[in-house]
Amino acid sequence: MAERSFKKEVELLRLGDGDTFEGEGILAVTKALLQSGVSYVGGYQGAPVSHLMDVLNDARPIMHELGVHVETCASEAGAAAMLGASVNYPVRGAATWKSTVGTNVASDALSNLASAGVTGGAMIVIGEDYGEGSSIIQERSHAFAMKSQIWLLDPRPNLPSIVKMVEQGFELSEASSTPVMLELRIRACHVHGRFATKDNRRGTFSGQNRIADPSFDYGRICLPPATYVQEKDKIERRWPAAVNFIRDHDMNEVFHGSADDVGIVCQGGMYNAVIRALQQVGLADAFGESAIPIYCLNVTYPLVPSEVTAFCASKRAVLMVEEGQPAYLEEAVNAILRKSDVQTRVMGKGLLPTAGEYTGEAVLHGVARFVEGAVPKGVDLAPVLQRYQQIVDAKAKAVRLLGEPIPTRPPGFCTGCPERPVFSAMKLAEQKVGKFHVSADIGCHTFSTLPPFNIGNTVLGYGLGLASSTGIGPNMDRRVVSVMGDGGFWHNGLTSGVANAVFNDDDGVLVIMNNGYTSATGHQAIPSSVKGGGIRSGAFQPDGQDIERALRGVGVKWIRHVRTYSVSKVIGTLRDAMTTKRGGLKVIIADGECQLARQRRIRPEVSAKVKAGNRVVRTRFGVDEDVCTGDHSCIRLSGCPSLSVKPTSDPLRDDPVAHVNNDCVGCGLCGEVSHAAVLCPSFFKADIVRNPGRLDRWRQGLRDRVISRLSRSSDATRQENAA
Amino acid sequence: MSESRTTTVLIAALGGEGGGVLAGWLVDAAGGAGHWVQQTSIPGVAQRTGATTYYIEIMERPEGDDRQPVMGLTASPGNVDVMVASELLEAGRALENGFVTPDRTTLIASTHRIYAIAEKSAMADGRYDAERVRRAAEQMAARQVLFDMQAEAERANTVINAVLFGAMAGANVLPLPREAFEDAIRSGGIAVEANLAGFDLGFRMAQGERPAGKKDTTAVSDDDGLGDRTLTDRINRNLPGMLQELAREGARRLIDYQGVGYARFYLDRLEPMVKADAVRGGTSRSFAVSREVTRRLAVWMAFEDLIRVADLKIRPERVARVRAEVKAAADEPVMITEFLKPGVDEVASLLPPALGRWAIGLADRAGVRYRLNVGMHVSTTRIRGFLPMWLLSRLKGWRPRTLRFAEEQERIDRWLAVISDALEADYDLAREIAVAGKVVRGYSDTHRRGIRNFHLLMDAVPACKAARPPARAFRTLLDAALSDPEGDALDRALAALHGENAAA
Repeated sequence: MAERSFKKEVELLRLGDGDTFEGEGILAVTKALLQSGVSYVGGYQGAPVSHLMDVLNDARPIMHELGVHVETCASEAGAAAMLGASVNYPVRGAATWKSTVGTNVASDALSNLASAGVTGGAMIVIGEDYGEGSSIIQERSHAFAMKSQIWLLDPRPNLPSIVKMVEQGFELSEASSTPVMLELRIRACHVHGRFATKDNRRGTFSGQNRIADPSFDYGRICLPPATYVQEKDKIERRWPAAVNFIRDHDMNEVFHGSADDVGIVCQGGMYNAVIRALQQVGLADAFGESAIPIYCLNVTYPLVPSEVTAFCASKRAVLMVEEGQPAYLEEAVNAILRKSDVQTRVMGKGLLPTAGEYTGEAVLHGVARFVEGAVPKGVDLAPVLQRYQQIVDAKAKAVRLLGEPIPTRPPGFCTGCPERPVFSAMKLAEQKVGKFHVSADIGCHTFSTLPPFNIGNTVLGYGLGLASSTGIGPNMDRRVVSVMGDGGFWHNGLTSGVANAVFNDDDGVLVIMNNGYTSATGHQAIPSSVKGGGIRSGAFQPDGQDIERALRGVGVKWIRHVRTYSVSKVIGTLRDAMTTKRGGLKVIIADGECQLARQRRIRPEVSAKVKAGNRVVRTRFGVDEDVCTGDHSCIRLSGCPSLSVKPTSDPLRDDPVAHVNNDCVGCGLCGEVSHAAVLCPSFFKADIVRNPGRLDRWRQGLRDRVISRLSRSSDATRQENAA
Repeated sequence: MSESRTTTVLIAALGGEGGGVLAGWLVDAAGGAGHWVQQTSIPGVAQRTGATTYYIEIMERPEGDDRQPVMGLTASPGNVDVMVASELLEAGRALENGFVTPDRTTLIASTHRIYAIAEKSAMADGRYDAERVRRAAEQMAARQVLFDMQAEAERANTVINAVLFGAMAGANVLPLPREAFEDAIRSGGIAVEANLAGFDLGFRMAQGERPAGKKDTTAVSDDDGLGDRTLTDRINRNLPGMLQELAREGARRLIDYQGVGYARFYLDRLEPMVKADAVRGGTSRSFAVSREVTRRLAVWMAFEDLIRVADLKIRPERVARVRAEVKAAADEPVMITEFLKPGVDEVASLLPPALGRWAIGLADRAGVRYRLNVGMHVSTTRIRGFLPMWLLSRLKGWRPRTLRFAEEQERIDRWLAVISDALEADYDLAREIAVAGKVVRGYSDTHRRGIRNFHLLMDAVPACKAARPPARAFRTLLDAALSDPEGDALDRALAALHGENAAA
């Protein structure tokens, strides 16, 4: 049960000739795969292509009708290896993952795949998580394309172009026996638009028309001497074949303009930003009619030298709009021009930022400065520069008026997140056992490194929390605590971390967050997920792909389960693990279902119960304003979005007081923290009984009577005091 | 070249608020009207509570032109027609990024605040000054529609999205009729009635209607709530007019806390301070020192010991307040549980000073002073839980004989003495020291650290006097004391101050 359901939208995948598709980018990609006749698809989730996995999973019935196999792969390496199906057989297939991190994981299989070459078209849909909102290291997938010689498609970010590139990509792959990567930037994955659909195609072979006999070709095995032959084949046959195909099928596009003594060369994905920048300074219109000619590279690797020289030859200068670094394209364009003795100046990095996302603003600056320097013929510079200056001045004025930078709002643990209490516990455990090194991992739990916790000294990769402690552990005074999510555990942590630590007899502590899903990516299922939601927690599970069984299987002896919300117990367990005389790996499985998933699951159930008139207890926390002294210690140990501050209503005080808003899901952390930290008595828990029974009412009545009697006598005393 | 232009809409929201639903409605409305429309967003962890944006471009199809426009995927400074922010700080962020420009941008934003983590985890008041955003919006937006949409949403029993969407329609800046917006909500099919109600509120507000103002419930009354004429007379006679209301509030607090005698004691302490203030030029400085003392002294004298906490927790008006806060219906029983964890210090603080100190010393020597805390879940809505709290609250008469009382009075006396002394030397310095009356607060560890910081600050006053200007030197120390819970910043600031003085 993923965070987002595409059950309704996948019906669009059935559209045929003459229909119009209207929807999101990733759904369009899926439709294009079906129109291309794939026989198998798979991948590993991660923004911005998490939803592609959700679409594939939700589309299983339609896929089944077409005989397309859908695999939820264990990792990107597994997904890349799956493309091995296309090495020997004329079957088309596609895999998807987040890049560059997923491509890193996949690269072993990718190298082998690219060397062996493919018979059927093989496509990798990579979600390029670069720039604003990205959660990963900033690198380019382009380097992988170059080193393994995999062709890289970077379509203009509109649905017709993306769909066309998917279809042509398979043909290119087959024409050049080479896998291709379709690079989709983060916003393109979710761009909403429309395109004219075609009928879905069945693959030559598929689940419904199976291959009778396996084929063997030593030339396809990655072992010498075949590998030497393969490398030569790449250069001598596959590369030229690709260049010819790209040129012959006009995969790259040239848009003519009147000021043709200059030009712009851009990656396909940057095209819209270039047009918008030109439009802002009055050099293009809303339909992309531009005064300055544009050469749009829908295929960014390999380049087509004849096209590059043809576009540039008659121009004094071109601007290369290439997002990310190193500037592979700019260097390649320069090299092509110099080799053909074309003297056009190539501008790029310098006018445009060397690193970082090419936002609308960055491209606007670059284009304006290029126009200013190159002075295209027939362009009146004054209004162009005036428009640009206006924009720059307005922004500067706003910053000046604000006077102080706006505080950042980094992502964080959701309201009621089961992982938050573990870090509250670590903060408190530090006070007891001293500060310890924390080897963090990738997942929602990486938010622990942000305020208010600032826990986690290193992050080395998905599932690598424990593995990244092996060097520092033996060099630290106190035991190192590693963190790993259940997603990372199954992705590779079980082998790279746990089995390895047992094998080496490493002494350390591992906390596994058992929340039931890969939560950060949108609640995709993992081997230990429970059908219908929830988690396997506590005691040893007799069957299923259970974390504890896996741990025991690889030889872990010290294993404790702890409910994450029981902060005191988490502290106690951590302390035991940190101080026990027993060597070896100590694993704490922190059980707590992802609260987002849980709420999505139980909300309809609860409201149905309330509607049916059944007794339901709703729990929420609150803060007594007059008891709170406004020092906010509680917030520094929680950071829950529903625990915030509000202005005090006390005219004698000035600092804001803590406040729990109505988003509170009553997870219990507030109470646990005030206990564990000996914080303050201002928190209260309120249990509200909906549809109370007769017993509830009777008890309440009795209590009210007794309590109000006593209260009255207190009131009387207060009056006396006052008199 | 074509003159057609897209209308650009940028929505700034917080992850988890459902900004995607809002963007989806707009796409549906525009698509339904036959316009070209494109939407993009940033998926992934940004949507886990952080600030995130949705970007939409809309273009009416020019007659006889079927070409598809090239639409932007990201907003660009100076190129936003409608800037929507679900919260005031996010409107500020939009301004900062250049997305609000006087030539074209209509700013539609809710003025309520959801505090960023740095704002709310500050030890004192870390909130961003909302006036800055309002001031900038005033000058930068071509038009602005600003009101508290969260409050309106609550009024309509719906979510803020619906009100925002209504405001977008009501602002008449999008090429769509009202019906297109409403149809989009209907075709969304979720909580349609509530969303339409919220939409209507937002629409009308954007069209210039003012919110149904809260009724003024503050009754005008001659009764100042003191119930004691002599206190009233003293305040009226001995304090300047501008301090009287604050002093009455302080006196009321202390009568409620301990009794009239204690309130008299408050005035006994306050009056000489006001006198000295007047002599030192307070009249021309709005009695700044006395004002700080008036409020902080009352708060400090009403320190939160177990007796006070118990007293506040069992009041009938508190149960009513909790019921309202958690939105319990009239017939729904509410059970309230308190989290108390008294330890050696808390119990000893209720004993007479000599006995209390002995007990703490004993626990210290045994090494268990901070380890004997007993975690209790006390249900004050049950008789079993209410009774002990009620008994505790009845110990009020015993309070003046307790260790905690003696210690707090000692500290208050020190504070007042240091202020009086500083008043002789430097008015602004005295004012800052008066503000420092707030550092002793909180419970358990926080309280202990507050005491430590308080004494360090008082000890540093002579050094501050040597610095130029003394008030700023002290303020730096005070800010440091309030900037981190461990007290490291204060230690560093003290070291820096002494270093500077040595160098001078």
